[in-house]
Amino acid sequence: MELRKTHIYQYHAEHGNVIDFGGFAMPVWYEGIIPEHKAVRETCGIFDTSHMGRVYAEGPEVVKFLDYVDTNDIGALIDGKGVYGVMCKPDGGIVDDLIVYRQSAEKFLVVYNAGNRAKDFAWLQKNTKGFKVKLTDVSDKVGMIAIQGPKAAEVLAKIAATDPNAIERFNIAPIKISGFDCLTARTGYTGEDGFEVFILEDPVTAPAKSLKIWNDLVTVGAEPCGLGARDSLRLEAGLWLYGNDIDETTNPIEAGLKWVVKMKKSSYFNGRKALEGIIEKGVSRTLVGITLTERGIPRHGYEVYDGEKKIGVITSGGVAPILNESIALAYLPPEYKEPGKEVQVKIRTNLVKGKIVKHHPFYDESKYGWKRVKA
Amino acid sequence: MTDEVKVETGLYYTNEHEWAKPSEDIVVIGISDYAQSQLHEIVYVELPKKDAAIAQGEAIGAVESVKAVSDFYSPVTGTVFEVNEALMDSPEKINSDPYGEGWIAKVKPSNWDANVAKLMDAEKYKQHITTLKH
Repeated sequence: MELRKTHIYQYHAEHGNVIDFGGFAMPVWYEGIIPEHKAVRETCGIFDTSHMGRVYAEGPEVVKFLDYVDTNDIGALIDGKGVYGVMCKPDGGIVDDLIVYRQSAEKFLVVYNAGNRAKDFAWLQKNTKGFKVKLTDVSDKVGMIAIQGPKAAEVLAKIAATDPNAIERFNIAPIKISGFDCLTARTGYTGEDGFEVFILEDPVTAPAKSLKIWNDLVTVGAEPCGLGARDSLRLEAGLWLYGNDIDETTNPIEAGLKWVVKMKKSSYFNGRKALEGIIEKGVSRTLVGITLTERGIPRHGYEVYDGEKKIGVITSGGVAPILNESIALAYLPPEYKEPGKEVQVKIRTNLVKGKIVKHHPFYDESKYGWKRVKA
Repeated sequence: MTDEVKVETGLYYTNEHEWAKPSEDIVVIGISDYAQSQLHEIVYVELPKKDAAIAQGEAIGAVESVKAVSDFYSPVTGTVFEVNEALMDSPEKINSDPYGEGWIAKVKPSNWDANVAKLMDAEKYKQHITTLKH
């Protein structure tokens, strides 16, 4: 089957090592995962995120609808503000994680994972029943590029009509970039400061605007980054990858996402009752961070042991290029959540020693990430 | 990406891209230039165990990049005589010099003639990797 092409495909084909990622032709790296990862932590990297799902939700009951499908508090958003959250099934299992941006009282932009585009749209559509709301999938009509890193604002400012620094974290605003109409959000999934730019009215079949913006960003000093660095960056930041760390069999409470489940909302939302029950009973497992104290690389699916006893499974793992450590996320019984606790990871035939560490993020926030003090 | 994959003559190769180089009474083993280029940035090597008895085709270690793990299958039967400890601190030597400084182990073979009959020479291996390119 022929792979789907994103807005930036032409650049990937010429410069990247292209793989099949959930049916999309996407670059896993251009120069290499490690230099691309470091560019984002130290200066500025850009990612093609045009494969993600982008949907407009509009109508007089759009707030009520989104508050019903999303666990976070959509009613609390003001114009130009977005929020990260999850959609749950009635049993509390996670359908997907997503960001919802309020453009106006009756118009929202909803952004979710590439691998879940068909599933999520069907799920949203099904849940519109009873609400005066209309959904429009614009994923193929709007380009999307992420600009990430401590120098992201400086780099983007070079090709933006107005200073992107005026946009606060998790806010979204219209800005002209390379002369084209865009919505620019101060969000991303690397742990760093940065932006996600939505390039309006740019069909994937003739994506001249997105390609121009991408090439302009490269010209002004941004490092093109592939999916490899995107994965290593989000892991180092302790961010959840749908399909690995969260899925329909995991709930936001055990995943460490209780902070996006807003029980103070007055209305019912999908999964509310189940999640209330889970909070009351307590979880049987919880997502923890592990760093290895011996050599080896933990990977998705490897088993975690306490001596002879198998206690859980790694959901994401790898090397952390900035920390120069092997790190992992795993679901373990809650008695193992305290930092310092020793565990072992089974790598092929060896039990390799590790310990529990804080993982959201794994790095020191005074040195890396959006909270760091700018020099 | 460099499209020019090096295949060194005088070495013998497996389908899984390991190489074996007979040198007096020992055989040096490693992974090919094609294998390292596919893995890209190699960040960890699990070396075979010194003095271990190993069999041709047996998984005796692993080579890992940021993204992927590749088992290392022994191209030769015998006893591990020496392992390349330098790779523990500099696994990237496999990327930069797969047939030289990136060697993985030296093995005392016990039945080299039978082993080599199952390996490819440089010409055959070149043909093998062209069939894999898409």
